[in-house]
Amino acid sequence: MSSVEVAEQQAPSLIGSSVPRKEDDRLLQGDGRFTDDVEPARSLHMAVGRCPFPHARIESIEAAEAAAMPGVHQVLTGVEVEARTEPISVLRPVPGAADLPFYALASEVCVFEGQPVVSVVAESRQLAEDAVEAIWIDYEPLAHVSDPIAALAPEAPVLHPERMDSNLLASNPQGRGEPEKRLAEAVVVVEDSFRIGRVSPLPMEPRAVVAEWRPGARELIAHVSTQVPHLVRMQLAESLRLGESEVRVVTGDVGGGFGLKLGLYPEDLLACLHAIELRRPVKWTEDRVEHFRASTHAREAVHDFRIAADAEGRFLAMTDTYVTDLGGQNSPFGSAQLSSIVFTGPYRVEDATVERRVAVTNKTPIGAYRGYGQPEVNFARELLVDRLARRLGRDPLELRLQNMLSEEELPWKNAVGALYDSGDYGRCLRMVAERIDYGGLRAAGRGPRPDGRYVGVGFTSFVERTGYASARFLANRGSRFGAHESVTLRANRSGGIDLYTGVSTFGQSNETAFAQICAEVHGIDYAAVRVHAGDTGATPLNTGAFASRTLIAGSGAVREAAAALRAKTLRIAAARLELEPDALEIAGDVVRCREQPQRAIGLAEIHVAAITGQGIPGDEEPGLEVTAHFEPSAAAFAYGSAAAVVAVDAETGEFEIERFVMAHDSGRIVNPRAVEGQVRGALAQGFGAALSEELRYEEDSGQLLNGTMLDYFVPTASDLPPIELLHTEVPSPVTPFGVRGVGETGTIPPGASIANAVCDALAEFGVEISSLPITPERVWRALREASNGGEGLEG
Amino acid sequence: MKPAPFEYVRPSSVAEAVATLEAHGGMARVLAGGQSLVPMLGMRLMRPSAVVDINGLDAELGQIEARGAETTIGALVRYSEAEASPVIAERLPLLRTAIRYIGDRQVRNRGTLCGAVAQSDPTGEVALVALTLGATVVAQGPGGVRELAADGFFVGSYANALAPEEMITGLRFGVVPARGAFFERGRKHNDFALLSLAVAATPEPDGSWRDVRVGMGGINDTPVLARAAAARLEGQRWDEAALAEAAQLALEDADPPEDVRASAEYRAHLLPIHLRRLLLSLVEEPRHG
Ligand SMILES: Cc1cc2nc3c(=O)[nH]c(=O)nc-3n(C[C@H](O)[C@H](O)[C@H](O)COP(=O)(O)OP(=O)(O)OC[C@H]3O[C@@H](n4cnc5c(N)ncnc54)[C@H](O)[C@@H]3O)c2cc1C
Repeated sequence: MSSVEVAEQQAPSLIGSSVPRKEDDRLLQGDGRFTDDVEPARSLHMAVGRCPFPHARIESIEAAEAAAMPGVHQVLTGVEVEARTEPISVLRPVPGAADLPFYALASEVCVFEGQPVVSVVAESRQLAEDAVEAIWIDYEPLAHVSDPIAALAPEAPVLHPERMDSNLLASNPQGRGEPEKRLAEAVVVVEDSFRIGRVSPLPMEPRAVVAEWRPGARELIAHVSTQVPHLVRMQLAESLRLGESEVRVVTGDVGGGFGLKLGLYPEDLLACLHAIELRRPVKWTEDRVEHFRASTHAREAVHDFRIAADAEGRFLAMTDTYVTDLGGQNSPFGSAQLSSIVFTGPYRVEDATVERRVAVTNKTPIGAYRGYGQPEVNFARELLVDRLARRLGRDPLELRLQNMLSEEELPWKNAVGALYDSGDYGRCLRMVAERIDYGGLRAAGRGPRPDGRYVGVGFTSFVERTGYASARFLANRGSRFGAHESVTLRANRSGGIDLYTGVSTFGQSNETAFAQICAEVHGIDYAAVRVHAGDTGATPLNTGAFASRTLIAGSGAVREAAAALRAKTLRIAAARLELEPDALEIAGDVVRCREQPQRAIGLAEIHVAAITGQGIPGDEEPGLEVTAHFEPSAAAFAYGSAAAVVAVDAETGEFEIERFVMAHDSGRIVNPRAVEGQVRGALAQGFGAALSEELRYEEDSGQLLNGTMLDYFVPTASDLPPIELLHTEVPSPVTPFGVRGVGETGTIPPGASIANAVCDALAEFGVEISSLPITPERVWRALREASNGGEGLEG
Repeated sequence: MKPAPFEYVRPSSVAEAVATLEAHGGMARVLAGGQSLVPMLGMRLMRPSAVVDINGLDAELGQIEARGAETTIGALVRYSEAEASPVIAERLPLLRTAIRYIGDRQVRNRGTLCGAVAQSDPTGEVALVALTLGATVVAQGPGGVRELAADGFFVGSYANALAPEEMITGLRFGVVPARGAFFERGRKHNDFALLSLAVAATPEPDGSWRDVRVGMGGINDTPVLARAAAARLEGQRWDEAALAEAAQLALEDADPPEDVRASAEYRAHLLPIHLRRLLLSLVEEPRHG
């Protein structure tokens, strides 16, 4: 159920219309083409042997027997890989971090369970796995550290002693004003330490690669399931010591990425190396057991947050010192970097400082995941806002509204210099309060109801950075990519347009949105635009799909390219119709005179004329093809609020989310149904991380306890609460069409709203929650601690 | 996640299946629905020398038979078939209710009840109901047919009294109490149970209850009977005090594990609360879960 309020009244437009998705026909008919569907003739299969310990020295590797097994073609170990490749590069380094180079295979010390140590290529995956078992690897287990806080303690074993003298990879303080002074003056200070659990982004399709090498042509074709084919191409060329022109990365359909498939992984490189050396295609598809250990994890962080307020409830200062886990080594996108940007949320706070501290631990490397630090910090801040309300005897809704930036105050530069572009933050919060009938719920009281359960309401409000600003900003941080998107439009002789983009298709509806914008700007039928995505041999060199940036940057490139293509089309048509280009329009499959629509010429005819160069004006170049690059001027801040209503069984800690309402603003909406799908999908992941998902490590052994689908509790559709979505549509002034990113929004509000609702329901017991996920057992423990007079309100 | 090499055998009779198991000296495994065996093979947690696929033995093993007071479920009867069977609905409604908590539709379309009994998962719903209702496991081995009471069959986590050369041919239930109810908590929809409970009893006209059975899953390394709790309730009227005491007594037979689903402490906390509520539901209305 959505109520879309259109900011400005426009003529019926493709933008804003829920046209059927371009991607769906093939996916619903089973005609999607995923990496595992690619199987060139004479393919061989790779299996990877992995370190079973969190931290260990490799004493020896005995692989002769395995290499001699029938059907086995090659065994590689770290020593060979170090000699033949360069380390895998980091795409987005943490500012100020020591360089921690790593190779596709470990040769001396392994720093996480699941780290690749040997790779085998054989006639079948079965044989390759048999051979991996036959390789004898002697490990000397070393002292390990799993917890990021423990990793920073002086007694912790230093995991990269050759490069670092502690496990603190970097610390990045930011902010403005004098929060310490404000804290000292404040009437109330609330503070706590909040723990956010480690989760897996868990795309349905695990990672996959098929590598083909044609030695005569000196061409490596790597089919990779990735969000960033052009970046993977760069990384492969660097690590394999090839020229980029010798590497073509082809990405077909991708069964989900969520940030996990951002850049080159060791297995991608290994498959390519084997393929080059064996001169045979090599395939590897990750299985789920590997996925849980070798694909990046996310979120794990501890936020020490403080809010100071005066007697009227005005926020005077906020501080957040947080530790994020890196895992054992870098991944291309490393640990989440956006907590610092949005830590003050939608609130008016002048004095605020934040410090990110990145800890190295003996766990699977952390990578990007939908939200990239924003759900984590939102949880910490929003729980404290509710505690502040309880301390002051204020209503949490009112307290938020009082401190929220108003529409007139925007644009606003927050404490770390991020510019909130535009929006009506309070409106979303009021909308959710109204929709859940907050007044009615409060009047009914918290219970217990006749069914014995206590009822609570929890709010949360957030801003979300979507997209990012210029390449200049990135240069200071050592990022290996730009801020633009690039698109090529090429007219074809059937009268259609082929749109080429390096943004691969992994469920974000980019093909649909690009085609909608192209058709809208150009005038051609939506059905006549075909999107070709993800083949670096055919698409312009772009940045890639992450950071909710695709539409923000991509829509600008599509707009410019479509406008240029349209202009040339009109010039050619004008000459033929003996009219001025200004008098013409493109309507579906024809170019026609606006005033006299019967004076028309088929688009196909114009395309043929341009492509053959026959029958075009003398001063016009042949061809009808445009490539445009677009870099947005700034990031756009999406925002929203949510409310959860829960019923809690105070005997058991079990609770039910009876309602969940979210109102969000993603600026101008290109395709409402696609947006709703994005928000619901992200909410499902948000509920997972809020309620049940958590990767747990055994303390003594440092081993992952729940690395299978049996024990990792990712919600199914039947586990999700009823979701009610509301939208506002305030266009962003800094982006093409006023769009804001939308892919990640839903991950942010579940944790904070549910925790606040549970604490509200159990307010009479003094229950406080400080960690995610919020399991029934944790609620029960919080109840028990509260009744023991243990952990109550902070201070 | 590819299995280690094994020999694949598809026998055409139970006798041939048993002969194959014997020929492999106990190193072969029966393949029924494959919902547990295949993942274990894939993860190489199990490395049988042969897999004996009994899926061709539908004529011998595919039936649900109601004979007199007894109901026998053959080794190839899938969860979905039992769920849809009028015989099960009429005679073993508690079993039917419990099956709905198992896996998802796809799993239930393949998985078999006897496979679940053989798997002997400490949280298994079928094992719990079989134990609670006093079922009999019918097995066939080189030495012929053996009948094993469910009570005593489950000897440990994923361990049972079956000999390695034996296979289960059916699961037999006798007359069951008039009322039954089932409860389960997992960490998500159709998850394995962190706590499951099956209760059954017959109300007498005088308001007392006889034939009281209380079974518990997820609370020990096998499904277990809460004997002390059942004894407290046998022949009694179930007033609030009786229910509360019985619920507490159930802890005597519990030795809850600690794992990613829940701590031992939390399981022990939940057990009496949910048992009392479940028993109460039996009193309040004649229901079957
Ligand atoms: C996603 C998923 C969710 C699940 N959820 C649940 C759940 O909630 N509760 C639950 O109880 N189970 C659950 N299961 C497990 C499923 O119910 C089991 O597959 C079932 O219990 C075993 O039946 P099967 O026919 O598939 O046996 P198989 O997998 O074929 O065999 C299992 C074991 O029993 C042996 N075996 C099978 N049949 C016989 C026989 N006739 N004689 C001797 N040995 C035999 C096999 O050799 C093997 O060791 C789940 C499985 C999956 C994949």
